[in-house]
Amino acid sequence: MLASIEKNILLFLLISVGLIALPHIYHIPASIFGFFVLLLTWRFIGIWKPSCLPGKLLLFLLTVGGLVLLYSQHQGLFGRDAGTRLFMTALALKLLEIRQERDLYLIVFLAFIVAASQFLYEQSIAMAGYILFVCCVLLGTLVAINSRRQNTLNALKTSAVILAQALPLAIVLFVFFPRVEAPRWMLFEDKSRAKTGLSDSMEPGSISDLGFSDELVFRVRFQGPIPPNAQRYWRGPVFSVTDGKRWTAAKRYTYTAAAEPDFSEPAYRYTLLLEPQNNNWVFALEMAGDFPPQLHMNSEYLLTRSGNPDKRAEYPFTSYPSYRTGELSGHKLRTNTQLPGPASQKITSLIKRLGGFDTRPEQFVDRVLQHFNRENFSYTLTPPLMEDNPIETFLFETRSGFCSHYAAAFTYLMRVANIPARVVTGYHGGVLNPVGNFLEIRQADAHAWTEVWLENRGWVRVDPTAAVAPERIEQNVNIEQQIASRNISFFSADSELARQLDWLKQARQLWSSVDYNWQRWVINYHSANQTQFLASLGIESLKQMLYWLVGLGALFTSILSWLLLSRKEKTADKVLRCYRRFCARLGKAGLKRNAGEGPLDFAKRSKKAYPKQTEAIDEITGLFIKLRYQKESSQADLSRLSERVDQLKIRRR
Amino acid sequence: MNTLSIKDRFRLNRFFAGENPSDEAIPLNQRRIFILPSKRGLSFVVLILLLLLIAFVYNNNLAYFLTFLLASVFFIGILHSYKALAGLIIQKGQCKPVFAGERAVFEIHIDNPIPVPRLSLEIDLHDKTQMTLAPYEKKAVRLYAPTERRGHQPCGTITLSSGYPLGLFRAWSPLRFNLSVLVYPKPWPQEIPFPETGGGASDQGKAEKGTDDFYGLQEYQRGDSIKRIHWKAYAKGQGLFSKQYSGEQGDELWLHYEASAGYGNEERLSRLCRWVLDAEKAGLRYGLKLPGQKIGLGIGHAHRARCLEALALF
Amino acid sequence: MQNPIAPLLESANRSILGKQHQIRLALCCLLARGHLLIEDIPGVGKTTLAHTLAKLLGLNYQRIQFTSDILPADIIGASIFDPEERSFKFHPGPIFNQMILADEINRSTPKAQSALLEAMEEQQVTVEGKTYHLPSPFFVIATQNPAHQIGTFPLPESQLDRFLMRIELGYPNRNAERELLRGQSRYHLIENLQTELPPEQLKNIQQLVNTVHVSSALLDYLQNIITFTREFPDYPCGLSPRAGLSLLNAAKAWAFMDSRDAVLPEDVQAVLPSVAGHRLRSASQDSGAVVAPILERVNVL
Repeated sequence: MLASIEKNILLFLLISVGLIALPHIYHIPASIFGFFVLLLTWRFIGIWKPSCLPGKLLLFLLTVGGLVLLYSQHQGLFGRDAGTRLFMTALALKLLEIRQERDLYLIVFLAFIVAASQFLYEQSIAMAGYILFVCCVLLGTLVAINSRRQNTLNALKTSAVILAQALPLAIVLFVFFPRVEAPRWMLFEDKSRAKTGLSDSMEPGSISDLGFSDELVFRVRFQGPIPPNAQRYWRGPVFSVTDGKRWTAAKRYTYTAAAEPDFSEPAYRYTLLLEPQNNNWVFALEMAGDFPPQLHMNSEYLLTRSGNPDKRAEYPFTSYPSYRTGELSGHKLRTNTQLPGPASQKITSLIKRLGGFDTRPEQFVDRVLQHFNRENFSYTLTPPLMEDNPIETFLFETRSGFCSHYAAAFTYLMRVANIPARVVTGYHGGVLNPVGNFLEIRQADAHAWTEVWLENRGWVRVDPTAAVAPERIEQNVNIEQQIASRNISFFSADSELARQLDWLKQARQLWSSVDYNWQRWVINYHSANQTQFLASLGIESLKQMLYWLVGLGALFTSILSWLLLSRKEKTADKVLRCYRRFCARLGKAGLKRNAGEGPLDFAKRSKKAYPKQTEAIDEITGLFIKLRYQKESSQADLSRLSERVDQLKIRRR
Repeated sequence: MNTLSIKDRFRLNRFFAGENPSDEAIPLNQRRIFILPSKRGLSFVVLILLLLLIAFVYNNNLAYFLTFLLASVFFIGILHSYKALAGLIIQKGQCKPVFAGERAVFEIHIDNPIPVPRLSLEIDLHDKTQMTLAPYEKKAVRLYAPTERRGHQPCGTITLSSGYPLGLFRAWSPLRFNLSVLVYPKPWPQEIPFPETGGGASDQGKAEKGTDDFYGLQEYQRGDSIKRIHWKAYAKGQGLFSKQYSGEQGDELWLHYEASAGYGNEERLSRLCRWVLDAEKAGLRYGLKLPGQKIGLGIGHAHRARCLEALALF
Repeated sequence: MQNPIAPLLESANRSILGKQHQIRLALCCLLARGHLLIEDIPGVGKTTLAHTLAKLLGLNYQRIQFTSDILPADIIGASIFDPEERSFKFHPGPIFNQMILADEINRSTPKAQSALLEAMEEQQVTVEGKTYHLPSPFFVIATQNPAHQIGTFPLPESQLDRFLMRIELGYPNRNAERELLRGQSRYHLIENLQTELPPEQLKNIQQLVNTVHVSSALLDYLQNIITFTREFPDYPCGLSPRAGLSLLNAAKAWAFMDSRDAVLPEDVQAVLPSVAGHRLRSASQDSGAVVAPILERVNVL
């Protein structure tokens, strides 16, 4: 049997198997991937030297080896990683045992499973495109197996055509197939992965890790105007407990609900597409008024979601930048003025110098900010190390740092001056993508600021970083401006290069926009999302959904079968078409032309049947003969024929 | 031909044996083509279900999409499978008589009237024949079937099938034609002397050719009279030639059913068959006498065929 | 343009009664430069037809009566020693004539038959290494008794292909027969016929026949016919390429006789029984029945 499987089909199959496994180089342990590559290479060599393929015993040993390898990874049998490894190993082993056509099919089927497993690791457009291509190659292998004497390129073409035809139906299924969340017990979580992001505590300096990360955190699309950059504070975890070095959240308030602040216009409505996170925090624009019911807001106005933070999620919000919160309870007051110990002499004297303890809190806040502004405090993402007493070191010695340093120091100063204050972390700003008209917030936008509680105003946001580096806060992100300023600073001399960069930038934004929609509509199309989308089409019940699914499926199928199967009997010959029309007319009247009847004979017969039409029949027949059989004929004859046929009136006998 | 009663339409036999035998060309259409998933197709369904499970457990939309895509490919496979056969026109061809024990050759013509190539067609009579058809190509296919007994042997059901393009479905069409092969009796294996012909002048059937006028030489053939040998030419070393004379009296041979008394019916026919062949080869004029049947003297291909047919159908 | 064939046909119809279609076919065969085989029982006017045509066309006419003892030399001629010149001299046989009537060709031995047929095919004879060209135009009308008569060698299938057409004359109808019985001797009538179409003109017409237009639509039809005969199970073997060419030539001649400058499907159909009948099934007498499935099933359009 082996001989009957053609070399090029094998080659084709092995290449596609190699392609399908390739991205797993990042996902599975090197030992298993190495095992796979070894066996694949072995099989490749086996195409030309079948004698070097392993015998039964060796194959058995290899199988045992593969199992040992799997076992050594301690992953069990279930779960994403374990499953992937298992299928990869099985695929590799099956490659060495191709005896019949059936084995080829098994390999192709295994390869499809491996292809699906790729999506469990990465769901980018590029990956989807890549897998689609490889699936086309895999199907091409099936086509090649099933068609004798067809070259592989044609097989590939055929499989591409089949895939293209299957696409509309697949999309219908994708949109209408009811999505149900898998029950918990079925989820095999892999806890081994770590993501960057905001952490649940803050030490001055900790956010700097994020300062350079380009990773996307969330995207926001506003309905209506986009708030200015200075107002774009995306609220995250709030830290009100400190040991002088490290700031953490007060456990107590995690689950108590917030008293709703008084909001005043303007309101911003937007949807937020959150990328997978490590924590359950949801970063809404300060201050979120309306949020979806599946989110929970605690008394520190931190939004959290239940469920798996590992999933992308989309939420609609309404936020009000101006708000007023209520009174502070005694307990809260204590929490927010908590200090690790008595303040040092140096700090107390600084506070006194700035009018702490005896001026109104508002004034004191301003003075501290001015102090940051006027003294030589500087903003840097690479501050010197501050080990023992970070706040003091920062305030009096290094005087350089970034948001978390300023926020921590500022909050500390406030608390010493008996003003309730806390650190808020989250993100600030975001870059507008003009193509998709949405904001992209990346890890580099992570920020920390302070909230102070003022009499009659409630919690007020104070951003000490703004006092030091106002450009980080106030700059309204204007792409044109940004580019222009870069031009001036870097490429003023070379406008050609600048234009190219401009173009590049736009391309990047375009791609980013595509990616946004991809994430939003494809990757994130889950049960809630689906319900919402289908409801917007007027499809509300599951029953309706199924009707639509079946209906559209049937529609596409019939269109496709019509396209595929209709044999258009195209008679390119206009002359023949005219004559057929003539015959059809007579046929309708009851005089059918026999298949073997020539035009003259038919004319004779029809003249006998319709003596009144003798002239017309003669002329039509004459013209037809002239056009079809004679050497010379003109366009005029054709139009005349057509005309005469149309004029012919024959009554049913 | 296009009308088919409801009852006929649902006749189960159509499924396996095809329509009633036909003389006409059979165009393959929805009435003629049957499609069912193959074993591989069923395992493909299992694959789809497995992928669906993966997509469901991980709630992974791209895995869902891959699943749906493969499901659509499977579904569309039905159409493609139908397309692999649809439109072909199959017509019965000729079928030359054979001797019992030889393989019968049934010729059928497959016409592909559309500009789409047909890759991977399989025609199954006793053995499977694989073939392809280029656009607009017309091909004659020879199908072989073993023969055992003399007489008319019908061709049986020819099954035309295709697994193209993905092998997930098998489309097939059982075809029956009014096509049968005439099987002559098996010629007696050994050479046997011609029977004595009643009242014939020639001895032992070694009939002599005409003796009127010499008209040429012919290479010596077994059975030619020694008197006819052109000894002069032989002496010159030019080879063995027989003198040929025009006129044809006296080379008649009557083959009797009774001539091989003592044998069973089939053996007799077998011996007669052998004689007919030998007589034809020897260029004798011969006739055949069977109980209740008589074929006059004659020679030539057509005559031989007539005699053999009589033997086959006796 | 007055068709030059018309007066010829008219004269022929006067001397042979009630056989218009056969005369037309015979003439068509002549114009298409083919040879004619007439298959019928003796006495229905085969000889008369051949003689009449020869007369009307002003061709040298020679009748060769085939017998069982006729030798190739009797047909082709032989080299005979001339004592005066002390050399062999070729005496041409009866075949060196423009129109040959090979009467009862199936009575002779295959040897003699093939001598004639080879000459027909090659338009020349080779005797002892020397080649002699036959006159032009050269036209053979062979007659054959139906195969079931005793003591005959019917032409084998391969030889039948050498004849462009095979026609049957059949008995005359009642009126024609009455006329025949009443009228003067046919022989005298034929002797007195005037040449209507001299050989030179005949050659011209043969040239003209070649120029009759054949459209690709017609070739489609022709090819469909040929393919059909090759596939139709009732025909032991289909039409050969040469047969296809013959069919086309005959159809061209037919179209020309109908004063048309292009071949129509009807022309092909008209000559089809005579041209294809004997090639498709040699044994059958009725050519019309043989080709009926073709006329019925092969679509003209």
